[in-house]
Amino acid sequence: MIKAAQLIYRYDPKDTPVLDRVSLEIPEGQYVAVIGANGCGKTTLVKHFNALLVPQQGQVLVDGLDTKDPRAHREIRRRVGMVFQNPDNQIVGMSVEEDVAFGPGNLGLAPAEIRGRVGVALETVGMLRFAKRAPHSLSGGEKRLVAIAGVLAMRPAYVVLDEPTSYLDPAGRERVLNVLWDLRQEGISVIHVTHSMDEIVDADRVVVMSGGTIIRDGAPRDVFREADVLRAVGLSTPQVTELMGRLRAQGCGVRPDVLSVEEAFREITALIGPGTGGSR
Amino acid sequence: MKTLHLGQFIPGDSPVHRLDPRVKILAVLLLSIVILNAGTVGSLVVTAFLLAAAALSGLSVGRVAAALKPLAWFFAILFCLHLFFTDGRPIFTFLPAVTYEGLGLGTAVTWQFIALVVSAAVLTMTTAPSELVGGFEKLLRPFNRLGVPSHDIAIMVSVALRFVPTLLEEVERMQEAQMARGADFAGGGVIRRLRKMATLVIPLILCTFRRADELALAMEGRGYHRGPRTYLRELKFTGADYAALLAVTAFLIGVEALRFLPL
Repeated sequence: MIKAAQLIYRYDPKDTPVLDRVSLEIPEGQYVAVIGANGCGKTTLVKHFNALLVPQQGQVLVDGLDTKDPRAHREIRRRVGMVFQNPDNQIVGMSVEEDVAFGPGNLGLAPAEIRGRVGVALETVGMLRFAKRAPHSLSGGEKRLVAIAGVLAMRPAYVVLDEPTSYLDPAGRERVLNVLWDLRQEGISVIHVTHSMDEIVDADRVVVMSGGTIIRDGAPRDVFREADVLRAVGLSTPQVTELMGRLRAQGCGVRPDVLSVEEAFREITALIGPGTGGSR
Repeated sequence: MKTLHLGQFIPGDSPVHRLDPRVKILAVLLLSIVILNAGTVGSLVVTAFLLAAAALSGLSVGRVAAALKPLAWFFAILFCLHLFFTDGRPIFTFLPAVTYEGLGLGTAVTWQFIALVVSAAVLTMTTAPSELVGGFEKLLRPFNRLGVPSHDIAIMVSVALRFVPTLLEEVERMQEAQMARGADFAGGGVIRRLRKMATLVIPLILCTFRRADELALAMEGRGYHRGPRTYLRELKFTGADYAALLAVTAFLIGVEALRFLPL
């Protein structure tokens, strides 16, 4: 479990805190989406999870290890993998396989063990046949997958991703999201920081941040029901939820917490009666 | 995409490609000593050796010549300087005297430089950059105790090599962005062109610093620390490597010995 308690962090002592008494618990195996407008503190928060930032006040424990203890940093960083926004700036190796081997090499593992892990990690993200390729010859989505594989080769219990789908084409985005879902199925915690509401409707939990605090924390259905709250902090709801909201505003009796196209379809056919539209 | 051609790695499966990089690095070092000491007979033997090594590597004459081409002017100037400015018996008098000694010395010195470049080119053309870095790292490892941080040097070099294409792409992108706003990189004299390049250099440096910052964070996040680490491929000498190293060493000592024979 990652446990943050009363976390306060300022980049500049004179400024208002970027994180203001944030408390949060993330159990193993949960898919947690962290959303919030630019500057709300979400990136600062997740950097605390693998000790890239250390709390100025409060505490962060990763499986009981305190991030304030420098001797625990190596183990914390092994357990909590971090995938940054720009994959170009985190790929170290001259080839895909060497890059994935970087983390295990830092752990001092034997070459045979490294080879095994590199194979499994690349297989998981579907990039095994690119093993020998040079990183700069890959597409944006492929680079992102390599960066994820590099983290997986450390066998983490938690993977933190900061806007993993930004700048990707729809196909690349789909591949990345599928991989994240596979990780969740394997029991790895996924902490997914994003601006895109549509890609997190299946998350176990949505954490909404604004002004350095957590303002909502719950199941997607409960969080997205409160469209007004989200709009007030510069966020939106998934498109179908938005559509249902507008229909309700017109006086239609549909549910306010619809998350998927299928649910929306059911609501609308119930409203206008079956058989009037095409079949589905 | 622009690419670098000077001694760029050419993937292959020749016996030279398969050798341990350390054998090739050591061979080039020994060869350099021999080249700088070689007499007339020695230089002929070394030339034959280099041609044989290139042929064994599956490198065509054209490939090797391509590595020399960017340096052609340097070789020409080197040759002329010796040709014109060496004292001795004149062949003919043309401004300064051209002498027999000058012709001999110019040929010898130019040959030495060409031979050094060719031997280095055979090394880099038959060895993947990562293997090359790995080979140097392992050769430097015994000096760890003297304070040579071989692992850190290896990471530094491989990160630098990894980012060359990325930074070239970045320059291209910035150039396009400035051209889109009316900048013209093609025309003008040398001075004007250099001045225009300055408008690329400054943003490039800034971008690179930002990249370096993020990279450092990402490396730290992946457990990087100074000092020993392990690698995907640990280099291991095979029988063939020992044999090759022994053969090359014996051969080169032989060539060195030629100097002391009354030929």
